[in-house]
Amino acid sequence: MSETHTYSLRRRLVWLLTSAVAAIWLLSVAVVYQRAHHEADELLDNQLTQVGETLLAIVAGGEVEDFIEELQEHAHRDPVPIAFEVSRSKKGVSRRLVTSPGHAGFETTVATGFSEHLHQGQRWRFYATQDEDAEYRVVVGQSHAARERLAREIGLSLLLPAMLALPLMALAVWWVVGRALRPVDAVARQVGALDAQALAPLDDADRLPNEIAPLRTALNALIRRVRDAFDNERRFTADASHELRTPLAALKVQAQVALRAQADDSRQHALAQVIAGVDRMTHLVEQLLTLARVDPARQDIAPQPFDPAALIAEVCEELLPQAQRQGQSLTVDAAAGCTIAILPAWLQIALRNLVDNALRYAGDGARIEVRLAPAGRGCTLSVADDGPGVARELRERLTARFVRGETDAEGCGLGLSIAARVATLSHARLELGDGLPRADGGRGFTATLHFSNAPGQA
Amino acid sequence: MRILLVEDDRLLGDGLQAGLAQAGFAVDWLRDGEAAVAALSTESFAAVVLDLGLPKRDGLSVLQWLRGRHDPTPVLILTARDQLEDKVRGLDLGADDYVLKPFDLDEITARLRALVRRAHGRPEPLLTLGEIELNPAARTVTRAGVAVELTPREFDLLHLLLQNAERVLTRRTLEEQLYSWNDAVDSNALEVHIHHLRRKLGNALIRTVRGVGYRASAAPPA
Repeated sequence: MSETHTYSLRRRLVWLLTSAVAAIWLLSVAVVYQRAHHEADELLDNQLTQVGETLLAIVAGGEVEDFIEELQEHAHRDPVPIAFEVSRSKKGVSRRLVTSPGHAGFETTVATGFSEHLHQGQRWRFYATQDEDAEYRVVVGQSHAARERLAREIGLSLLLPAMLALPLMALAVWWVVGRALRPVDAVARQVGALDAQALAPLDDADRLPNEIAPLRTALNALIRRVRDAFDNERRFTADASHELRTPLAALKVQAQVALRAQADDSRQHALAQVIAGVDRMTHLVEQLLTLARVDPARQDIAPQPFDPAALIAEVCEELLPQAQRQGQSLTVDAAAGCTIAILPAWLQIALRNLVDNALRYAGDGARIEVRLAPAGRGCTLSVADDGPGVARELRERLTARFVRGETDAEGCGLGLSIAARVATLSHARLELGDGLPRADGGRGFTATLHFSNAPGQA
Repeated sequence: MRILLVEDDRLLGDGLQAGLAQAGFAVDWLRDGEAAVAALSTESFAAVVLDLGLPKRDGLSVLQWLRGRHDPTPVLILTARDQLEDKVRGLDLGADDYVLKPFDLDEITARLRALVRRAHGRPEPLLTLGEIELNPAARTVTRAGVAVELTPREFDLLHLLLQNAERVLTRRTLEEQLYSWNDAVDSNALEVHIHHLRRKLGNALIRTVRGVGYRASAAPPA
């Protein structure tokens, strides 16, 4: 894995969480600012109305001169953020009575009630009111900037703590995430420390959070599978070397004996033994290669169901000469209409080994029957003989590699392993049992492959 | 020298029997552990060549049984297993030597001779008695430094007598050690071989002990 394909989950979480919180905060600040602006509007509008109405009441009450003086004075001392203008109209002529300090009066004509106009280059909000006979008229106004200032202040008062809190929160998230990810680190360390030569499942004594435990469980399942495969291979290599060494030793010894033999007949005998040894080695090597060829990598290809009758006939025909040499009868009974889902090449391998086994071990003159028959939802393919058979205790072990029955016949103990392996990889079942009845009460031997065509089985 | 060979593989057993016979051993070949135990409990052998993977009774178990009854017969183990622990176990159970298949026939015969020699408490490869010197590996005999021609059977008989110099060996022991089961033995074959040996090596070497057997002993000074 290159570095560019990895990233820090911690950094990413900190970044995501902090930005999410910041975004939510900003959004709420925006909403609060809006609300504050609205509230400020209401508040200040009330203020405008109040000031306007009060002014109007005083002016209309007739105490105009005194009040104006006092107001001017007061406004000078203590400037009010509200500008005002009082005017009086008499016989259609309007005259300004008073304006707030710093104002030459509003240049705009303002309609009664609230309105907004440009005043001195800024947006202003005005409130205009007049008494019942429209003699006195009061206009109060205020710059919009004041409202915005107020709203901004409220918004800022919210934003400031957020500015401080965000870095703190990022730190906290950094710490919390680190703490929460500690089990992941632990698992990663354990996986990193795995020894490929001696695979051991991860220690599941440590408590793990629910989110990570499945990872460890899956890893452990994988480790066990890989370890089993390793062990299997290791055992196989040891077994194979064992099985190859003995015939090699025999070959070498027989060749040396032939080389040193003084008499012709003992040399002939030794040389014949060398040839027999080479034949045996050839068979062993062929069987080993067959076993290797039945490769689990091919089990993913879902085989199409087919009628194996022709294939069965072909295999038996091939082996018939051997049967005849040994005075054995080999018969095939294939029911029509049976289909099985298996790679044809594999079925051929399995069947050839089963029939070959029967020919080897059933003895001269034996009867061997190959039968294909429907059974339940599937089919069975069986090879039965009336040979000496195999004791029940030993039968279980026969599918192990290099295990042979108690027999003098030549063989390397791989035939049933090969058939069993084909069965396993083809979702079939290999069953070993007693065979055809014998006159002397012997048990015979049957190997049966059960194929199930149940739906849902690949 | 009579050797018991226990090997279940027909081809290897056949070859070893022939090869060891060529090297001058009398070989009895058995193919399973139980038969080996039966043979070892009634007869004596100069050495045992034992395969480990045997039917009926495992080679290691045969070895254990043999040592359990304090039988010192040298045992050479043949095995196809090259794992160290197998080797260690075999030697710990009382095997004297260990050969991994495939092996050389010469190596097996040399090791067997060495085992037999050591079993008789002699580290040196040559057997000497008086002016007679016997080389088991080369299968040669000299008398006062002059080579003496012996038939294989005469050589084996002399070998046995020299291994047990100054001790009386019964006719039965000699016959048992000289001949394997498949050898047809004439009733007076032993006397004939003794007679020939005396003619070739001098009368003083092999003494007849009346009613018991024979004894090899250094010739008294003339």
